Amino acid sequence: MPRDSTAGHPENELSELLNIGFPANPDAIGTVADAIDQALIELHVPEQKRLEIGLAVQEALVNAVVHGCDSDSSKEVRCRLQSDRNGRIVITVTDPGPGFSTDLLSDPKRQEDLYADHGRGVYLIRQLMDEVSFVRPGNEIKMWKY
Amino acid sequence: MGPAVDGLRQVFEESLGGGDICFVLNLAEVPMIDSTGIGLLVRFLASTKKRSGNIKLVQPSKFAVQTLRLVGVLNLFEIFENDDAAVESFA
Repeated sequence: MPRDSTAGHPENELSELLNIGFPANPDAIGTVADAIDQALIELHVPEQKRLEIGLAVQEALVNAVVHGCDSDSSKEVRCRLQSDRNGRIVITVTDPGPGFSTDLLSDPKRQEDLYADHGRGVYLIRQLMDEVSFVRPGNEIKMWKY
Repeated sequence: MGPAVDGLRQVFEESLGGGDICFVLNLAEVPMIDSTGIGLLVRFLASTKKRSGNIKLVQPSKFAVQTLRLVGVLNLFEIFENDDAAVESFA
């Protein structure tokens, strides 16, 4: 089970592989997700791990664009891909929105929510990644894959 | 999210509006399903079941199955190896 943590990783030991700022247009999400995937291919990340990271990134980008920016393309979302010396991957997605409290998120596996058409994105991210942290006030998510 | 989900939503809405209630959805060319796609599937599954219909899935990828299981909705769907078997299951 992944853990949510704000416990520090030695960020100064991270190598930056991608740092992409893009307008908060839903049509741009696929391009950014593809760029992340291509970088992971070049890092020789195994396919299953790439799929898990790719879906988590997709969910984080959608949250940033749709909820953080109201799909307003005059606003910018930033996505960074970094790795450490042990090959661990960290992806950070930042939006200019007011953020949100993860305490407000319910468990989508509750029987009464199984047929809901929303509310699974952050849950999926937490399941797919090894460590997830939200930087206050909640407009930046940092996702680790070991 | 994106054109794939938008297109599927349009097909579902038009078909349900036209009275169709039984659907076979071949996912062989779909490597992953995000939360928007899952939300669409379960919403229309509920709509079809209310009308005594169903949505049957064909050849979902291993990762798609894993994702549906992670969010607890895999058991809502019947899964088939090919289109014919899925269609026959409605008989």
